[in-house]
Amino acid sequence: MDTEPFREDEGIEAQPPEARSEPQSRPVGIFLIGFLGVCVPSLALTALGIIHFGSRSVRQPVEFNHRKHVTELGISCDTCHSSYQTQTFSGLPKAEDCAACHAEAQGSSDKERALVEKLKRGGTLEWKRLFAQPPHVFYSHRRHVVAGKIACATCHGGIADTTSPPRQVRKLAMQDCIGCHLKSKVSVACTTCHR
Amino acid sequence: MARWGMVIDLDRCTACQACVVACQVENNIPPASARTAERGRAIAWIRLVPFGKGEGGEHPSLRLIPVPCMHCEHPPCTKVCPVHATQVGDDGLVGQVYARCIGCRYCTTACPYTVRQFNWDRPAFPEPMEAGLSPDVSVRPRGVVEKCSFCHHRLQNAKDAARAAGRPIREGDYLPACVESCPPGAMAFGDFDDPRSTVSRLAESHRAFKLLEELGTHPKVIYLSKGEWGGES
Repeated sequence: MDTEPFREDEGIEAQPPEARSEPQSRPVGIFLIGFLGVCVPSLALTALGIIHFGSRSVRQPVEFNHRKHVTELGISCDTCHSSYQTQTFSGLPKAEDCAACHAEAQGSSDKERALVEKLKRGGTLEWKRLFAQPPHVFYSHRRHVVAGKIACATCHGGIADTTSPPRQVRKLAMQDCIGCHLKSKVSVACTTCHR
Repeated sequence: MARWGMVIDLDRCTACQACVVACQVENNIPPASARTAERGRAIAWIRLVPFGKGEGGEHPSLRLIPVPCMHCEHPPCTKVCPVHATQVGDDGLVGQVYARCIGCRYCTTACPYTVRQFNWDRPAFPEPMEAGLSPDVSVRPRGVVEKCSFCHHRLQNAKDAARAAGRPIREGDYLPACVESCPPGAMAFGDFDDPRSTVSRLAESHRAFKLLEELGTHPKVIYLSKGEWGGES
């Protein structure tokens, strides 16, 4: 911002505040134009879903319909995500978990028939994780779901009501964690979550 | 709120370095290459520091003292960190957030105990060790400072277990790997806020002393020794 070279004998502390604020009026205008020109269109594109910040595209082996399984059939989360009450990681369903119900086709869709064929051949399902923590964060499902009694939707949003897998990984922000920790009077010391 | 701390009985310590090895394994500390070690850049969260007394000569008086992070109550390291990557938590532990550390190394300079170490190299684990890394502790990248954490992940696990059992955390629930491994039982760990805890009792001993106490850091690692090495002179 400040185009004047910094002189050693006249440090920032030595300058009176009026003298410093004077030359900033022009750069502020340039900054505003820059902001409107760059940030506003990119924010609009983000809102329209054209640009994804901090995410990458995910393709799941099966177009899994959460709404059908959870909302309509009333299958509980731990049927497929078996370990969220006992371990840190909630777990992703193995092929045999799907085969427990889909050994024979339940409906009439082609996609389901393809899945049944795949399971009969002994194929595996390589699910991609949709919710990821950075490596310096320690998160335990057991700690939050069993001890903290937090509903899945608190962090996972409306995933139980989606009809096809989301195309992007959702990064959970630190402010979400901090907000909840402060509200429920849990420690916000760095070492509580950062490993 | 607890104030976790350690007592090391130097009269029991045999300098076997089991604590050093246990720490290395527990906290994913990479084994140093020959080149790294040669340059004095090998990382260890707890070291045995030789302390000498007198003139030396033919029979030098030398003693090896285990030195982990002191988790000071007034730590000089947290005050110099420009990015708040290291802070004292509400449980008294001096934490280090590696993702926030910019590697300026002010803290390594500020620490009078020189227990903070910088990752000069990318961590490298030989083939079978990679599979044995602890998932509770992150592998630190090159360019950040690290130090003893008093195995704070064990505190979280102990809190979990205590909560599941519906009781408050008890003495012995939370022990760092070094304390757990010590063969002669020279290390004790517990809550200094609890006057009945083992560490509080031991800290009142006439043998108790702290390293560089005169600096006003108020270390939470207390040593016990009698004779010329300790508090009793």
